Amino acid sequence: MGDNKGEVEGANNFYDIQHRKYDVRKGLFAMNLQIVCAGIGGRGVLLASTIIIETAIKAGLKAMASDEYGMSQRGGSVVSLVKVGNFASPLVGRESANILLSFEESEFYRNLPFLKTGGVTLVNTSRQLLSANIERLLKKRRVQYFLLDADAIAMQKGMIQSSNMAMLGFFSAFDITPFSCDNIKETIRQKVKARLVEKNLEVFQAGYESAQSFQLSADSKNQ
Amino acid sequence: MREVMIGNFAIARGLVEAGLELAAAYPGTPSSEILPGIIEFKNREKLAIHAEWSTNERCALEVAFGGALAGRKAACMMKQVGLNVAFPPLLHGYAQPLKGGLVIVSCDDPGPQSSQTEQDTRLLAAHFGIPVFDPASPGEAGDIAYYAMKYSCEHKVPVIVRSTHRVSHARESIELFVPGSRKVKLDEGLKLKGKGRIGIVTSGMTCSITMDILDELNLGDKISLYKVSRVFPLGTEVIGFVNQQEKTLVLEETDVTLEALLDHGFKVLGRRSGHVPSAGELTYDIVRDIICRFANDHGISVPEFNADTSIEDALKEIQIAPRPPKLCAGCSHRASFYAMKSAFPDAVFPGDIGCYTLGISMGAVDTCLDMGGGVTFASGFYDTFAQDGTLKPILASVGDSTFFHACLTPLYDSVLKKRRFVLVIMDNSTTAMTGLQPTPQSGISADGTSTYSIKIENIIKGFGIEFLRIVDPYDIPLLLRTIKEAYEYLETESAGPAVIIARRECLLFSKIREEDTRDMARLVAECTGCKICIKTFDCPGSYFDEEKKKICIDEGLCIRCGMCYYACPTSDEGKSLKELKKVRNEKKRREGREDSKK
Ligand code: SF4
Ligand code: SF4
Repeated sequence: MGDNKGEVEGANNFYDIQHRKYDVRKGLFAMNLQIVCAGIGGRGVLLASTIIIETAIKAGLKAMASDEYGMSQRGGSVVSLVKVGNFASPLVGRESANILLSFEESEFYRNLPFLKTGGVTLVNTSRQLLSANIERLLKKRRVQYFLLDADAIAMQKGMIQSSNMAMLGFFSAFDITPFSCDNIKETIRQKVKARLVEKNLEVFQAGYESAQSFQLSADSKNQ
Repeated sequence: MREVMIGNFAIARGLVEAGLELAAAYPGTPSSEILPGIIEFKNREKLAIHAEWSTNERCALEVAFGGALAGRKAACMMKQVGLNVAFPPLLHGYAQPLKGGLVIVSCDDPGPQSSQTEQDTRLLAAHFGIPVFDPASPGEAGDIAYYAMKYSCEHKVPVIVRSTHRVSHARESIELFVPGSRKVKLDEGLKLKGKGRIGIVTSGMTCSITMDILDELNLGDKISLYKVSRVFPLGTEVIGFVNQQEKTLVLEETDVTLEALLDHGFKVLGRRSGHVPSAGELTYDIVRDIICRFANDHGISVPEFNADTSIEDALKEIQIAPRPPKLCAGCSHRASFYAMKSAFPDAVFPGDIGCYTLGISMGAVDTCLDMGGGVTFASGFYDTFAQDGTLKPILASVGDSTFFHACLTPLYDSVLKKRRFVLVIMDNSTTAMTGLQPTPQSGISADGTSTYSIKIENIIKGFGIEFLRIVDPYDIPLLLRTIKEAYEYLETESAGPAVIIARRECLLFSKIREEDTRDMARLVAECTGCKICIKTFDCPGSYFDEEKKKICIDEGLCIRCGMCYYACPTSDEGKSLKELKKVRNEKKRREGREDSKK
């Protein structure tokens, strides 16, 4: 299906994450971004999506989220659909999301149909590799994917419940305007309980830094 | 000032800004957050608003009605099936001129996602001539709540605001005004003017989705779009719109309401013409398909969306863990159901509405109709079996909030009729399913202040029920014995219903006490790999490791309540339970022999 009208040319291809940024100066509506945050109850999915929309709103963008958490307290799936830009509804269609943030590996597979061709996905998993079939699929759909052991990062910092922060840290390394490292940090300071802020920021920073090394290893793999 | 909030809070804000004075609600997804929102804004603005959790929706509506008749600005909130409970006062009362204002917020559940049925509040409202509004976003929901209160005061009639889960649970930035100063103009009318002669009439979140899709498909200048906010009474302008079009497609949730009100024969397409599925949520993908077909059928060519099925092909090899909703790890309901099922595996198990409906997966809930249905179904089953001259074990389960909501009437009815069934009241001291609202037993009001506590056992005693036991469900052997004792009681001449209160706090509400925890190492050490506990108990706190061929404890979830020991046939606890079961089986066999002798 065609790309969203009004989107910056080529900007939904994240192949060059470091250099191609959304150019928000072109006006409020230049940036139409659809993000799916998926996980299970207790993984902080809703907090993560709150931080994303609040960051966008602070930057003067229109942002909305639609949450599905029917039985999440009982271990069920949690999906938060986020749309930033000139949209009327917060709902996302099949193969329409630019970004899929999977806070849990199984939810990555379950929500993969949301991701558009050329999209980006970040998966919280202890795996180093995805299965050959999935890898082939992602390649065919020109999906850029990153596997991050966010649980391990959070555990290392003694904050088992904060893997969502490591995910956000990594996401901020994509540097999609306005979701820069600094902007997201600022929102975390406002949205996270005061006594947990510093610890959460530590996990966030660790996630951000692991993105840097990831970039290198990804590059060297390509060579 | 602006603030990001969910639709339900936006509704609360709109009502508070409109001068709300009295609010009553019964919790139910997706409406439960509105009353807490009202309390939040009341506290922030230091206003004197009476806000309460009512015992059920009918109480909520009547309390609000009373307030409105007496000149207050009142509101009540509930979910769509809750409106059924409030039906009698709605039907008899809507024609009474109000001195104040009355806004009824009813949240629909297209899908349905957390209800027994879909249901369209707008249909009911239109049918009985009650004005009804259908907001398309959280922001508009706030505006409409405000507008509806003014509308009600002006016209002296009750007004319904219909939300859906996609509006109630969506979040966006909402502007906050000083109470009384919001300016609202109904956002209704022609939104897109297309060159062609086809149009769409739509309302609610479906309207927002439709706008996004017309944008995505570049159809904004080809198909006209008319947005409706007040579904009843429907404005005349929209009729003019339909008259101008060759064909009009109606997109709405959840039933045929706008479509029926427009009623232009073959000119209007929708559910009745088969262009829109007759049930289920109108998701983004479904609406996109409908619009593609509609456009292509009328000479506007758009590429159909073809799903890339290679995604599903590649996912085939992946075992995506199914995540059926489950009772929490260590939930006392699981223990209760296990005892019930162990005591009488072949019993009939009428169930009710709450977390404990999940007992279905343990085979300890057979029916789930509506609030209170646990007791009334038990009654119907008993009467049926009694007619046939048999006393079949009937083990009904209801929760504590449900008990107060709808079980009192059917229960004393059953006392009068001497119906012999066992009623297990699963009392976890809260309304857990919808977010831990207090029950009449909690001794807490909606705003956290303390009040009387009505004890369930006092009601049971007051009804004259002879068999009443209060048991901690964590004591599975005791609960099992008690259930059997109850059944023995039912076999005596003068019996009526037997009631067991299985009492232990919800784990979302209070942590397990240290002295109640067990060492779980023995379970793993002695495990023979039979998987029986997985089949019969299925606590998320443990899982079966296929490589080690052993049960494993999920340290993150397990609360070490030790209940699963009873489900394991190799453990001492499991064996002791087996002994208990055997006693009964022997007794049954003996009886069987006596029966055949007769
Ligand atoms: S029932 Fe007992 S032996 Fe069987 S799998 Fe469970 S723990 Fe192991
Ligand atoms: S001890 Fe057993 S029943 Fe209790 S939470 Fe842990 S796994 Fe579940």
